[in-house]
Amino acid sequence: MKKIKKQDVKGLLEKWQKDFAVFVPSSASGVSQMDAWDGKETAFLDRNRNTAVPPKAKFLPSMEKMFGFRREKGTYTLEPTNGDPPRQLLFGIHPCDARAIAIIDAVFKDAYDDRYYLSRREKTVLIGMACAGPYDSCFCTSLGYGPSDSADVDIMLTDIGDSFVIEEVTDKGKELLTGSKGVVDATKDDEKKAAAAKTSAEDKVTRKIDTGEISKRLPGAFDDQEFWEEISAKCVSCGICTFLCPTCYCFDINDEMLQDGSGARYRNWDCCSFSVYTRMPAENPREDKWRRVRQKVYHKYLFYPELFETIACTGCGRCIRQCPVNWDITQTLNALPAGKKEETKKAA
Amino acid sequence: MTISDISHRKKFLAEGNVYLPHIAVIEKIIDETPTVKTFHFNFKDEKLRKEFTFDSGQFGEYSVLGVGEATFCISSSPTRLGHLEAAVARVGKVTNALHRLGEGAEIGFRGPFGNSFPLDYMAGKNLVFVAGGIGLAPLRSLICNALDNRDKYGNIDIIYGARTPGDLCFKYDLDSWEKDSSVNMTTTVDREAPDWDGNVGFVPAITEKVAPSAKDAVAIVCGPPIMIRFTFPVLEKLGFTPAQMITTLEKRMKCGIGKCGRCNIGDIYVCRDGPVFSYEEIKNFKSDEY
Repeated sequence: MKKIKKQDVKGLLEKWQKDFAVFVPSSASGVSQMDAWDGKETAFLDRNRNTAVPPKAKFLPSMEKMFGFRREKGTYTLEPTNGDPPRQLLFGIHPCDARAIAIIDAVFKDAYDDRYYLSRREKTVLIGMACAGPYDSCFCTSLGYGPSDSADVDIMLTDIGDSFVIEEVTDKGKELLTGSKGVVDATKDDEKKAAAAKTSAEDKVTRKIDTGEISKRLPGAFDDQEFWEEISAKCVSCGICTFLCPTCYCFDINDEMLQDGSGARYRNWDCCSFSVYTRMPAENPREDKWRRVRQKVYHKYLFYPELFETIACTGCGRCIRQCPVNWDITQTLNALPAGKKEETKKAA
Repeated sequence: MTISDISHRKKFLAEGNVYLPHIAVIEKIIDETPTVKTFHFNFKDEKLRKEFTFDSGQFGEYSVLGVGEATFCISSSPTRLGHLEAAVARVGKVTNALHRLGEGAEIGFRGPFGNSFPLDYMAGKNLVFVAGGIGLAPLRSLICNALDNRDKYGNIDIIYGARTPGDLCFKYDLDSWEKDSSVNMTTTVDREAPDWDGNVGFVPAITEKVAPSAKDAVAIVCGPPIMIRFTFPVLEKLGFTPAQMITTLEKRMKCGIGKCGRCNIGDIYVCRDGPVFSYEEIKNFKSDEY
């Protein structure tokens, strides 16, 4: 393990800024998110909580131009966007959000490469910060990792007061620190402090779900319409839980065009809470709100694991914290009916 | 569902970016019904025009650039590759914009996407096509395909219905299939109509009346969801097993490649794992949202 004094981190960021667009947690815009570092601000070094907007936005922006086009005399010319994004460095990403990105990588690879996402992903390094202050809505420890887990970052920092203990996780991470001013070997005492910080954070995560029991109950609970109607009754379908979810990746594709014949195709975050999301001319498979709420829960806890062998939830708690009506996914998961029938398939 | 090798599906996608459409030109427009037009189109790129092919049942993402993208099957047959065809009902933003276009106008096309009708499984069997309204479009690709390989299949039954005589699509094909002695063609409309002396009744009821044999047969069904739901039980009554019944499902789609999220039925994505499914597969879906 290495360590660095907090006052020396600015120098490290300055060094990195020569090669990367550096993003740090910031509330400058009024909502906390990963913003471009201004070269001065260091308050985020003492920030121990997650940003409201998850860092997925640095890979899948809430809105991005896919390509431009131009119409002249009835003929279209496509103007592809630059497929070579700048190298970026995300500083201070929490383990839950780093894990979320690792989870949704699978979708953007899958059968077809999504170059918009993957090119950014390939050119990004993640500097993690162990979470020191989980919210009471957090439940990461129920999902097979914890607030200090370093598996999905290149470098992991743990706050021990006036310094960070540094874990070089990947070769890329090691390289980033080579020859950096202020980076010294951590002492046994430093490591002890980091371990204590880790335990302390883990102890603060008191909200629990039982994923084993949930995966047993989900198949049988699917057809329990009464349960889903009750669970979804207070949902106002605002979509905030999905927009701020670090693993929600659904998107819409839309065109814009100006009078002068120039236009562009964009993609935007979309959301399974909206009935229009699945609406077709003849019918809508998820017109009912309870079906949409059910879809959200099943996608994360049953369908995604079936496809990609991982639950698409990191227990970051944003959907609980930000919900205007206090809908709580852990309450739903913990209340799943045990169900009598094993088979839930319905005939047409 | 884990997906098998689909490299053949990627062959004609824009290089390096699956979201980039190819520009194609509308060569001909046929008014099928007051709300349906068939667009004959071809790629601007010469190489693509020569090499492009697909399988019956596959679909594309069609753009009116500046308005948006929408999903339609390719309604022509890969055995007739002079151009491609898509039958489009005027129902929303993109389809209305498409209907306003004239011959010579340019559109965008991405594809082909999705799986296709299981020709290997159908080889040597009797084919029973049951379609309603614009649901004939994907089957038409397969019907033309089968007629162009007539010796590969046994009897061919086609049962097709629409609300009114004016809503029957592909009337030029219906006429030619009617005249084809190797095809047993039945056309119906939902209600009595002036100048209509053919069958009257809903497609499932007429299917029951025609009573095609299930022996060595495959039924391929497509139409409005309600028609499909009522036709499967009729076919089961006639002795068709769920594995002998095939359909192609419609869902709202955006990306066409299993990423944007909306076309899932449980853990399958209709765009990626379908749109063609047997009724046996459908019965095993984890969700009833189809």
